[in-house]
Amino acid sequence: MVFPSVPFAVFFPAVLGLSWLLMPHPRLWKPFILAVSYLFYAAADPRFCLLLAGVTLANQLGARLVGRVATKRGADLTVAATVVVDLGALAYFKYYGFFVSSVDRLLDDLGLGAPLPLLNVVLPVGLSFFTFQAISYVVDVRRGLCERASTIDLGIYLAFFPHLVAGPIVRAREFLPQLARPRNPRDVAVGAGVTLIAFGLVKKVVIADFLARNAVDPVFAVPESYGAPDVWTAVAAYAVQIYCDFSGYTDIAIGIALLMGFVFPQNFDAPYRSTSPQEFWRRWHMTLSRYLRDFIYIPLGGNRRGAVKQVRNLMITMLLGGLWHGAAWGFVLWGALHGGALALQHVTRGRIPALPRPAAWAATLLFVCLAWIPFRAPDLTAAWAFAQRLLVPGPSTLLTPGVAAAIIVVLALQLAPSRPIAVLHERIMSARPAVLGVGLAVTIMLVAAAVPGGAVPPFIYFAF
Amino acid sequence: MTDTRPSDLGVEARDLDAEAAALHDIPAPPLGRRRGARDALVCIGVCVLVLLAFEGASIRHAGQDMKHGWQRTLVLVAGTPAGALSDASGLGSVKDRTLAWERSNDGSGGPGGFRADSGPAVVGAVTPDAIDPRALGLRPRAPRALRTVLVTGDSMSQPLDAELARSFARADGNATVVRDPHIGTGISQSDLLDWGSEAAAQVAKRQPDAVVMFLGANEGFPLTVGGRSVECCSAAWTAAYASRARQMMNTYRQAAGARVYWLTLPAPRDHARQTISRAVNVAISVAAQPYRAQVRIVDVSALLTPGGRYRDAMTVGGAQQIVRQADGVHLNAAGAGLALTAVLDSLRADFAAGSVPGR
Repeated sequence: MVFPSVPFAVFFPAVLGLSWLLMPHPRLWKPFILAVSYLFYAAADPRFCLLLAGVTLANQLGARLVGRVATKRGADLTVAATVVVDLGALAYFKYYGFFVSSVDRLLDDLGLGAPLPLLNVVLPVGLSFFTFQAISYVVDVRRGLCERASTIDLGIYLAFFPHLVAGPIVRAREFLPQLARPRNPRDVAVGAGVTLIAFGLVKKVVIADFLARNAVDPVFAVPESYGAPDVWTAVAAYAVQIYCDFSGYTDIAIGIALLMGFVFPQNFDAPYRSTSPQEFWRRWHMTLSRYLRDFIYIPLGGNRRGAVKQVRNLMITMLLGGLWHGAAWGFVLWGALHGGALALQHVTRGRIPALPRPAAWAATLLFVCLAWIPFRAPDLTAAWAFAQRLLVPGPSTLLTPGVAAAIIVVLALQLAPSRPIAVLHERIMSARPAVLGVGLAVTIMLVAAAVPGGAVPPFIYFAF
Repeated sequence: MTDTRPSDLGVEARDLDAEAAALHDIPAPPLGRRRGARDALVCIGVCVLVLLAFEGASIRHAGQDMKHGWQRTLVLVAGTPAGALSDASGLGSVKDRTLAWERSNDGSGGPGGFRADSGPAVVGAVTPDAIDPRALGLRPRAPRALRTVLVTGDSMSQPLDAELARSFARADGNATVVRDPHIGTGISQSDLLDWGSEAAAQVAKRQPDAVVMFLGANEGFPLTVGGRSVECCSAAWTAAYASRARQMMNTYRQAAGARVYWLTLPAPRDHARQTISRAVNVAISVAAQPYRAQVRIVDVSALLTPGGRYRDAMTVGGAQQIVRQADGVHLNAAGAGLALTAVLDSLRADFAAGSVPGR
């Protein structure tokens, strides 16, 4: 079940009403919210629920054993074993085909062809998100950063439907304390929740899908048919599309959670106003970059063991971050490009004069946009074919007023001074509940009318 | 020792104690004025009431078009009374008229639609190109050049459409490949997209010499025959589906001016879906019979799933390769490559050498 769909529009109001009705009674509320979250997940494929339940129980077992093992080494081994179980599930469902076909091809190239067992494994939706959250739980329990939760609390943390399929990646220590007592029914961010849902719908359905249809998908499918002006239009349009698609999803997820009384961390903060790769990662998919920092970069040593090791740690972190997005060499290359840019920034810091701010912004934006090419292209061959067309002259056929307006408006809003936008946002959020309700309904009707054929394409991050 | 220098991930590398102190290091979004849960319910309640009043008919249609299951039941529980309210009050029509400017022209409700009462179907006259000159002892006609290929259908047509477009682009010929997929649509669910109208709109806009059609991932919805609903996949349903497909074939062949290449559905993994794909393939075959001179059935089903048996992988170029996507329905790039070869072979048989990429 996806957020911008008729079934969810029927499902959510009923769940919201019952949730607040049962909220004062945790013994009723907790089984209820767990059940509806599993129901939400079962809409994709009921079999996935078994995996989700299995991951929950395995991590709860790990957390319990951590508390019972007397030695530090024993606790560490228990955590390691639990993480191996989580990563094993991720590896099997997400990377088996990629690994086997890559090894198969390599053996063929070496003349050692030995057919490996090919399996077409279905990727459960949201697997990357809930396994990462499960790892955060057992590691944070081991580190003493959060208390061991009851099994039902852990089940709710991993399955809570607003963040189940595509994040944001909420840490156990952020979410579990919110389950400790019923949410305060007099302290609900109604205006913020509703405006986030409305803005998220517009970002996803109106902007991202419009750009995908009219400027991105045609060029990435057959770059050979387009010249440089169209290919550059597609590059800029994809940068805006993926931002609006993913930040639109997380806006809706955060808004839904707010209406239910829960607070999630922000996931995006105007990433295209960044003036360096480092700043970009402070603003883009912030919950993932925090996760990579806490669970890969810092454990590897971070910046504490010299410049060479820091560069190594950055490259490993970003390569794994790329691979987290999917089992394809394009994601690995994307991670390598960002790791390389971060390393370059680190190595040259203080050794060459800093660029003026506008030049630094332009250089960062250009780098980030070009790095999206291997991320979006179906494979490296297609990415190379696309990149070659960046310099081939040709007519401009895709930069229509609509496409140009969508790109310019999104970039301009990120570059604009934040204060006036915040004031306007505050005013909208302060409107009366009935006015907000009518506004949301009108937004939904306008958005629905903008969908050709009535079907909203899936969110990009559902595939990750 | 604690290191609090900024790291290159944009944060400070700290020891665990410092990290513990830095809980909630990503801010929450601006929360604005706090209100009560009652206000949240009022807000969403008002939104729901407005939507039910103005979109009730759309919700009912959406429910009717969904596959049987708890989600369909849920949507119909809300949509049926809301649709009746919307119809009776006329608010749905008001909304449709008000937002007509925004709706994209996707072929829904246009001329040639399945719902149009066009009377009994008339099979077109037999045209000379249906006759093989060699059978009459005459010289065969020189095949004409291919200028425009339309690749369309539902999600099944991807990535075949891109593969076909790439092969023409690499061949550097004069032919143009137009890709026009309509994801999530089907012949048996015309509320989302009426393929009868869409075919007419596509022909009017593109006038293609060749139409490659790959459609059927979302079929199996009830069809109306003689005023009553017929469930998939009886003979009556298959015949009704064939009638709709035949109407589209007739549109696409443009009074014998174009060729249609309709791909059969390879068997899907799921057994329930296999029943649907079998019925669709039978319907396609029956539908094409009057137009054999212009409509080619490209039997991808026999190529990828011989005997109607699903398989993930098969031998391609001497090596085992996965040819289906993980959902067990769609083709992956390797599978689409095989379908592409079959389509190109068919195109070469009908159009001038040089206008279709060679082997």
